[in-house]
Amino acid sequence: MASVETNSDALDVTQAINQQIITKVKYLRRFNDAISNHRDREIYQLLDNQRYAKEIEHREQQPNDKGVMNLVDDLADQLSNHLSENLIKYLGKTYPFFYYEEYQTGHYRIYFGNWWDRRQFGELDVLNVRFSFDQTEYEKLRTAFELSRDNKRYNSERINKISSENDRLQDLIDHQREREERKEALQEQLKDISSRSGIWESSRNKESRQELVEQLQKLEDQEDESRNAVQTIKDNERVVLSLSKENTILSYEQKSIVDTFGSFEDFELANRNLYANYLESLNEANGKQVDSDEQ
Amino acid sequence: MSNNRIVTSPSERVQALSDSFKDVLSLGQKYVDLLDRLAQTKDTKDLLAATIKLTKMDLANAFVNFPPHYKAADYFLIFMDRLLKMHGDTAVNVTENELNHEFEATMASIGNEAIFKFEIDSRGEAAFTEQSQHEPLFYLSLEDKLMQFNNRTLVNYFIIYALNQHTDLELRDAVKPLIDFAKYLQQDLDFTIDLGILATANDRRFMLDKPDLPLTVIDRLFVATADEDYMLMNLPRNNGAELILDQGTKLDIAFDPDDYSQEWAFLVEDPDEQVSFFDVLLHYGLVRKWYLADRDSLAVRTDHMEIADDEEAVPDSASLAVDQSDEEAEVTTKKDDSEENDE
Repeated sequence: MASVETNSDALDVTQAINQQIITKVKYLRRFNDAISNHRDREIYQLLDNQRYAKEIEHREQQPNDKGVMNLVDDLADQLSNHLSENLIKYLGKTYPFFYYEEYQTGHYRIYFGNWWDRRQFGELDVLNVRFSFDQTEYEKLRTAFELSRDNKRYNSERINKISSENDRLQDLIDHQREREERKEALQEQLKDISSRSGIWESSRNKESRQELVEQLQKLEDQEDESRNAVQTIKDNERVVLSLSKENTILSYEQKSIVDTFGSFEDFELANRNLYANYLESLNEANGKQVDSDEQ
Repeated sequence: MSNNRIVTSPSERVQALSDSFKDVLSLGQKYVDLLDRLAQTKDTKDLLAATIKLTKMDLANAFVNFPPHYKAADYFLIFMDRLLKMHGDTAVNVTENELNHEFEATMASIGNEAIFKFEIDSRGEAAFTEQSQHEPLFYLSLEDKLMQFNNRTLVNYFIIYALNQHTDLELRDAVKPLIDFAKYLQQDLDFTIDLGILATANDRRFMLDKPDLPLTVIDRLFVATADEDYMLMNLPRNNGAELILDQGTKLDIAFDPDDYSQEWAFLVEDPDEQVSFFDVLLHYGLVRKWYLADRDSLAVRTDHMEIADDEEAVPDSASLAVDQSDEEAEVTTKKDDSEENDE
């Protein structure tokens, strides 16, 4: 389509290129300046002008200039590292229960809490100022909040089930002697009945013999189960402990969220508004953090 | 002794009897002098010296029967009573039992049922012992100037037994004069004291008797906090856990991350260094239940201060052998010793 036709057209193209280059250079200069002076708010604006206009300036429909935005794409990790400093400081105050680990440049794992046992809860997306929570873990927390309205815990049902199974097994162990005695009695009866068997055995005799054999088999099965019961109880106890630990972790998490935000809904609301709240907390003049507690 | 001579003539016999009386009379004079000092001296060092002499005095004599007198255990208790009173401390009440003429101590805060006496073993080490449960709460050696609490019996008596009948505050008041007594011994008389789990210094570590602690034991404390207001945190260097209690009090169960042996220990920190591990067990049901349920794993070791038994050419500085025996073993040793307790 574009073919060179006239000289004046060529001049226009050159002009257009130069114009574009000047825009890019201007963008990069601004970027360079903002980075040097740690004006984080301006950096965020330069990274995503559309979002900035909408959420901070409340101006809709400001398209991003694709021609400049991708200029820093390959610097994402380093930029994330640069911007994390103030962001994590801010989050330390607003989300005091989250802890971050930079596992590679610019990439941050979120840990919920610093308690005895804690969960890895997803990652921090610094360039977009948002949490990207691990969905499985997040759903557990949401469910725990829902259950807590009925005074229930996440794993309570499973714990109760295993505990009553353990009670049953303990009962088997405790009644070993009774079983022995019953077995002996049954065997005695069986011997008695068997002596009256033969080809002329009455059907009634046959039936009760069958019944005795079945009862003996049942006792035998219980005996087998009780032989493994000690180990099964121990294994179950281990499972209960780890389920209880998960319950405890979830209850600590709920406590922390309620202490800081009041409710799970307010926590989610704060997450949705994190970008705006954070950028507003950055002083416009120098892009550094405002130290007052106004956010 | 001179009165064992075989004498024949009447005058010699009379003289021998007279000599014996002279011995006894001078012994008697010494005895009453010591009693006066024990009862009246205002000087703690003099009190200690008189008590030591009285505990070692042998009044048995073939010719003269001294009127009823006190035993070494009584002198220990009178010594304790007098030292406390010299400091205006009246929380311990020492009285003479009218029936057997032995002295007994009671503490105002826990009533008269709990009776304490000293019991003395073959090495002359006295154990301040509660009589119904027979728990020796601390050991006292006047000559070696040692005083040491027994961690295991403190838990047995106060945390397991007495807490059924008394409040934590009453028991704290009962233990306080014992701690004060230890401090007076240290301040006035240069005793070496070991408060054990009653110590409140923030840097005091209580090593566990069993060095390898299964982490599931800490898991159980963690799980127990789910229904409480206290949280169990992870220590920054992953070397254990920290339970956040009231008013800035923290209980750590941890090992020293810089020590390769990784021996587990309890540590109690609070802003004023007023809270001991014993206090934590006493006040916090959460910790108490957990500790007692897993006591096999969690028992605190008693580093028993021992006096070197044989006095053969041991340099003074080395005469304090610190024998790291565990709570259990130590109690057994004590029991064995007290069985051969007739000097």
